[in-house]
Amino acid sequence: MEQIFEPKFTNQLWYLTVKNFKSMIREISQLVWIFGYPLVFILLFRFGYGLETFNIFAPGVVILAPIVLISQLAGHFAEEKESGTLQRLITTPVSRSTVLLSGLFSQLIVAAIQIIVMLLLILLFGVSINPNANIFLLFFIPFIVAFTSLGFGLILASFVRTASSAGGLAWFIILPLQFLGGLLTVPLVGFIPTSLAAEAMGAVMINGSIAFDLVGLNIIFIAIWGIGLIVLGILLFQRKTAIL
Amino acid sequence: MIILDLAIETNNLKKYFGVIHAVDGIDLQIPKGSLFGVLGPNGAGKTTTIKMLSTILPPTSGDASVLGFDIKKDVLEIKKRIGVCPQELVLYPRLNARENIHLIAQMHGMSKKDYKERTDDLLGKMNLLDRSKELVKNYSGGMKRRINVLMAVIHEPELLFFDEPTAGLDPQSRRVVWDFIRDFQEKDSTIILTTHSMEEADDLSDELIIIDHGKIITQGTPDELKGKLGEGDILEFKVKEIEQRNEIIERATKLDFVQWGKSVGKHRIVLNALDGLRRVSEIMDVIKVKMEDISVRKNTLEDVFIDLTGRRLRD
Ligand SMILES: Nc1ncnc2c1ncn2[C@@H]1O[C@H](COP(=O)(O)OP(=O)(O)OP(=O)(O)O)[C@@H](O)[C@H]1O
Ligand SMILES: [Mg+2]
Repeated sequence: MEQIFEPKFTNQLWYLTVKNFKSMIREISQLVWIFGYPLVFILLFRFGYGLETFNIFAPGVVILAPIVLISQLAGHFAEEKESGTLQRLITTPVSRSTVLLSGLFSQLIVAAIQIIVMLLLILLFGVSINPNANIFLLFFIPFIVAFTSLGFGLILASFVRTASSAGGLAWFIILPLQFLGGLLTVPLVGFIPTSLAAEAMGAVMINGSIAFDLVGLNIIFIAIWGIGLIVLGILLFQRKTAIL
Repeated sequence: MIILDLAIETNNLKKYFGVIHAVDGIDLQIPKGSLFGVLGPNGAGKTTTIKMLSTILPPTSGDASVLGFDIKKDVLEIKKRIGVCPQELVLYPRLNARENIHLIAQMHGMSKKDYKERTDDLLGKMNLLDRSKELVKNYSGGMKRRINVLMAVIHEPELLFFDEPTAGLDPQSRRVVWDFIRDFQEKDSTIILTTHSMEEADDLSDELIIIDHGKIITQGTPDELKGKLGEGDILEFKVKEIEQRNEIIERATKLDFVQWGKSVGKHRIVLNALDGLRRVSEIMDVIKVKMEDISVRKNTLEDVFIDLTGRRLRD
């Protein structure tokens, strides 16, 4: 006689996250994108413009890393929709929100790895970091930015049908964030997540500051951006994929 | 009162996509433990029906209960008890065969020990053990198709939906999958199998429906359905004089051993004739036109479909 199992939400979440993570690291092009795009700018600043300029722009380059997750996350969900695996998964007793959460979780793991690698790389290439810089904040600021990337990625994923269109359209979010936020130039707009993050990151890395109005407040604003975008993203994504 | 133990019961189930009436009022009663075939041409509404019964597509109207649970209200209870093999190949390309199968088991909450053992057992039955550690994206279409089936059955569900499980398989692999499906039937699972292969429907199902344009056009056991067509052989041929098809059929059916005739597609005529093989020349004398490309065969479910719709299952 058949058995009926009682699945646990936490186990489902864990196994799905592992699955997402495996699928991601087994695709060379995704690895190149996650680490390669920010690396290009590290090399460009270090060897193109020289160490002095590199010192100034290094904080922005680290923030750039989690921004590429927008295309990563949108591509991941678009692939699940396009290939039918999302539909297949929900014929099993797993809820749509668990699947969604697992997608976000695996990207956050990637973000953490990516940020640590970027910090090590800029050190390796000789950036001088203020000796008083708070190491936790150097990690935490870009990590908070990763949440806004997940929000943007979800919003994008709810509109696109294929992974390749997600990859292409992501540029229309990544580039404005990158340039308006002044990650690699002077900032043009002050209130978007990237400019807030670049400002805070610069204060911590270059000046060794932990001033509330430069760091704490910015982190709070980025977090508000992140929460808002993720909530909007989840609402849109749930609605757009409700009818499969 | 007789209470049948039903696996599935539907009541005027409908799904409209705008103007397309994909499923247009289906009433079904499928007893537990049976292998139930759903035969129909492309676009008949087979997949849409399965999606509604497996709770991933809400119906436009009507109700259905699956294993005693309502498809709108008791979604989770149904999902715990079913396995679905989708028509398309739906696998994670960058996971290997084992990982793909394990994932479904994990979603159902099976214990690690159970699903590992069972996965190996299943892979063995499908002759896939030796390559089970390779990423699925490197598999051939037929291998993917077999994994697609295994992902539906790993948790030994009470009710299984197979949506064209053998599409694109070579005859040998098709046999493997057929035997595999029969195994499940012997274990008392209820199986819903869609196909547009009349052979498959005939070979496997205890009972079947034929659907067309979202409606059930006939229902019964394969023998009952073929029996309705009469005892005769099926004689199929082409004629040049297509405008005269109706007259030709009329003339032929005047012969007492010809039970019925139909035109199929643009050029072909199908007759049901007792002892058809030996009487071809008699028929030829009567219809007075040249028959080309003649074939004589036993009744098949395809002919049931032709009889009811004047079309073939596959054009
Ligand atoms: N999501 C959808 N949106 C619009 N129309 C749809 C959708 N899904 C199915 N249809 C339409 O519903 C009808 C029935 O489709 P369905 O996939 O159920 O047929 P089927 O019997 O499974 O055919 P096949 O043998 O080709 O798989 C078709 O006309 C199809 O175009
Ligand atoms: Mg179909």
